[in-house]
Amino acid sequence: MTAESAAALPPDVERQLESLIPADIAVSVPTYNNAATISKVVEAVRAGLEKHFEGVPAVLINTDAGSSDATTERLGEAGLPLVRAIHPAPPGQLATVPFHGVPGRGASIQLSLGVARRLRAKALVVLEADAVSIDHEWLERLARPVLERGADLVLPVHARHRYDGTMTNLVLAPLVGALFGRRLHHPFAGARAMSARLLDHLAELPWPLPGRGETDLWVTGTAIAADFAVREARLGPWRVESNTRVTDLPTMVAQTLGAVFALMDGYEDLWHRPAASVPMPAEGAAPPPPGVPGRIDPERMLDAFRRGLSDLGTIWEQVLAPETWGDVLSLESEEPARFRFPDELWARAVYDFAVGHHHHVVYHDHLLRSFVPLYLGRTAAFVLATRARDAEAAEAALDTTAAAFEEQKPYLVDRW
Amino acid sequence: MARPAPRDWYKDAVFYEVHVKAFMDGNGDGVGDFAGLIERLDYVQELGVDCLWILPMYPSPLRDDGYDIADFYGIHPSYGTVQDFQKFLDAAHARGLRVIADLVMNHTSDQHPWFQASRSGPTSTFADYYVWSPTDHRFRDARVIFVDTEKSNWTLDPARGEYYWHRFFSHQPDLNYDNPAVRRSMLDVMRFWLDRGLDGFRCDAVPYLVEREGTNCENLPETHAILKEFRAVIDREYGGARVLLAEANQWPEDVRPYFGDGDEFHMAFNFPLMPRLYLGLRLEDSRPITDIFTQMPPIPSACQWGLFLRNHDELTLEMVTNEERAFMYYAYAYERDMKLNLGIRRRLAPLMDGDRRRVELLNCLLLTLPGSPIIYYGDEIGMGDNVALGDRDGVRTPMQWSRDRNAGFSRSDADRLYLPVIADPVYGYEAVNVAAQARQPSSLLNVMRRLLAARRTSPVFGRGTIEFLRPRNSRVLAYFRRLEDEALLIVVNLSAAPQPVELDLAAFAGAVPTEMLGGTTFPPIGKGPYFLSLGPHGFYWFRLELQGDRPYGIERTAI
Repeated sequence: MTAESAAALPPDVERQLESLIPADIAVSVPTYNNAATISKVVEAVRAGLEKHFEGVPAVLINTDAGSSDATTERLGEAGLPLVRAIHPAPPGQLATVPFHGVPGRGASIQLSLGVARRLRAKALVVLEADAVSIDHEWLERLARPVLERGADLVLPVHARHRYDGTMTNLVLAPLVGALFGRRLHHPFAGARAMSARLLDHLAELPWPLPGRGETDLWVTGTAIAADFAVREARLGPWRVESNTRVTDLPTMVAQTLGAVFALMDGYEDLWHRPAASVPMPAEGAAPPPPGVPGRIDPERMLDAFRRGLSDLGTIWEQVLAPETWGDVLSLESEEPARFRFPDELWARAVYDFAVGHHHHVVYHDHLLRSFVPLYLGRTAAFVLATRARDAEAAEAALDTTAAAFEEQKPYLVDRW
Repeated sequence: MARPAPRDWYKDAVFYEVHVKAFMDGNGDGVGDFAGLIERLDYVQELGVDCLWILPMYPSPLRDDGYDIADFYGIHPSYGTVQDFQKFLDAAHARGLRVIADLVMNHTSDQHPWFQASRSGPTSTFADYYVWSPTDHRFRDARVIFVDTEKSNWTLDPARGEYYWHRFFSHQPDLNYDNPAVRRSMLDVMRFWLDRGLDGFRCDAVPYLVEREGTNCENLPETHAILKEFRAVIDREYGGARVLLAEANQWPEDVRPYFGDGDEFHMAFNFPLMPRLYLGLRLEDSRPITDIFTQMPPIPSACQWGLFLRNHDELTLEMVTNEERAFMYYAYAYERDMKLNLGIRRRLAPLMDGDRRRVELLNCLLLTLPGSPIIYYGDEIGMGDNVALGDRDGVRTPMQWSRDRNAGFSRSDADRLYLPVIADPVYGYEAVNVAAQARQPSSLLNVMRRLLAARRTSPVFGRGTIEFLRPRNSRVLAYFRRLEDEALLIVVNLSAAPQPVELDLAAFAGAVPTEMLGGTTFPPIGKGPYFLSLGPHGFYWFRLELQGDRPYGIERTAI
């Protein structure tokens, strides 16, 4: 389940570090074939340091999964002090790059942590190489709470349209929030900042296997469980331009949900306790939400849900508890316009999938992919319930969903 | 049609399983040989397959039809010489055909010089090449596989005064893979053939390489470690386009580890699926087939299942439940002679009572379910078997080329043939042969050629996902095969009576189905149920021309 921590840095990295120690801010940009967007990100880092942290020694860390394009050359163009390191990545992830864009992301984060500690950095900021909506304020909003206000882990809250991030808002955030006992807007965000205190703590622990997707989540869960100060920072819109990230919905669902389930299996101590609801303090003012996304088609989502009921019944029947399965079946008869998916049932269904994953009821990949039509059904219900109303009503609906996951947590613990 | 040759060529390939001795006799001695095989390569090419799988061709006392190898570096004298093999391999490659060969890694013949030397006692260089024991009490949790002939996995060797271990026949001692010298020797054997250009190996009986006390001695982690080591060496030295195909007759969850993380075998036979195709057909019910897929583990993307209907062994029923086995015996082996070990020793056409429609239907499944199909020689013309011959010889009789003497297989006297040709009135060579079927457009041979040609037109067959529809009429099996934006729909009537079916194709609303074998365009798909009717054992292969999939609107920003 876990790999050894505190691995020594590769000798070539050690050599690069000799002239750079110490630095207060370490900014890590994990990359894999991001030549098209990396310059924009590095420029935002340079501008952020210049505007907000003038005179503070800073180093850019580039961990690369083996790019074959001009990514690493472009990184050097900003003229920032730079440490480059290449980390291994599972061949399968190089061919089909995971949703977060970095094959072997666990290894990349672990390597950045090692470098930041050797630099004696007070804050390690991790950014995404393909998030093109970045501006100079991101660095400031992530790093300042760590450097000056005692925060140990700062996670972003992006300004998004209410129908962006449905997988995050309806599944991942409520689930992770209930598990860790603290609501997070964007538990799978690729950007974050960490304090030296937290890095030291993490360095002592055995890490999840580097090829898997749960490393970031494990870091967050560990920080919360060990009472580190966890904050959120408002960063504005999140727009990614990537030719490598997987965009196939079932795969994204399987990877993200699979990461939460894998964490639940491997680290029961991080979540086996009552769900308290403490919203994170957020840094920065809320920016206006971005414009309307493309056409949303809840009817087609409902079609997919109904097809799931007939085609995947044999799997759902094994995964869902009998009562949950009965309740899900009864949803089918609703008229499309009146289709609702009660939050309490939704929370039980997601927990049943977690339990089914834990007990290997069916092969993990079958289980995770069979979740997609359920998620589409829940998303359709969310859109149908809120499309005639305003953003605040949608926000309130998501709060109710999160609360249902918290209330139903004893059900999960009982069935585990 | 010129096709690209990617490293994972095996994912698109159709394999053709051939016994050298049974295919064509070039020198008139009554036994097939490589010279004869070369003469018949045009036939193989025209059939439309991609890769020949050659059964054991090595020197052997032939007590297990060549699976008892006495010299890994030679060719059995009846089949020719290593030079003849090289000529054959070059001729196959010149036609764009690839060749893999059987390799028995687990054991050798008791006539192999390694074993003969090993018998002389613990001082021999080869003393530890085999698994020896002073008692027959070790590894008692390992089952006896050939229950009809063997009582124990241990046999006393009077020369050495010790027992030797054998998972199969007592004349096939198991090699000792705990001995690094054995592993090195086996790698050298593989290099010898790969250096000649062989495209890979079908590795026989791989679950049994290593023995450990207190286990059933099958599928052990130590065995997997050795297989991974072999794969890594072959990838490194031969550039990654040589294929390793595992024979692991095991349940799905036990077969799965043979793929490793894509770093062990490229392919493994899908043993659990095969009997369920027969079961589904006999019960006229799609559920045995759809159910086995929910139990089928996902495999690494570089790996592939090998699908087959019949092969040179008995139709093995190890991977079904006792109840299913009883039904299979009842349905397909109504005479005692037809059973062997835990299986049925018959060929495809007689198993189907000679019913062309059922033979074609099973071949339709073989060619359209996920995996690379393997066709057993002679089954493409509907050859019969001879259950009066012993062991598995009944399905290994000479290929039936024409109604000439010895079925056109050999110029020798009939009594010199290695096995008699099938001569019964229904399946005999005068009724069933290549020459006649080649001239008749509606023959099984020509139908097979058309099915194979249709399969070549789309990579979806070898590489796509499968998704079963659940029509209310369970006598009809229907599934989508999809790869990126290409989609196929296969609809199969498992019943002997005509069947109507309503399919929910709403996901493809707007698409126009084109039947792939006849090229006919069917009515466009709408939102409501799609009605089809199928004749007895009829099937359709549709290509669904998509008019652009309408998005949900949330997928790009879901996370």
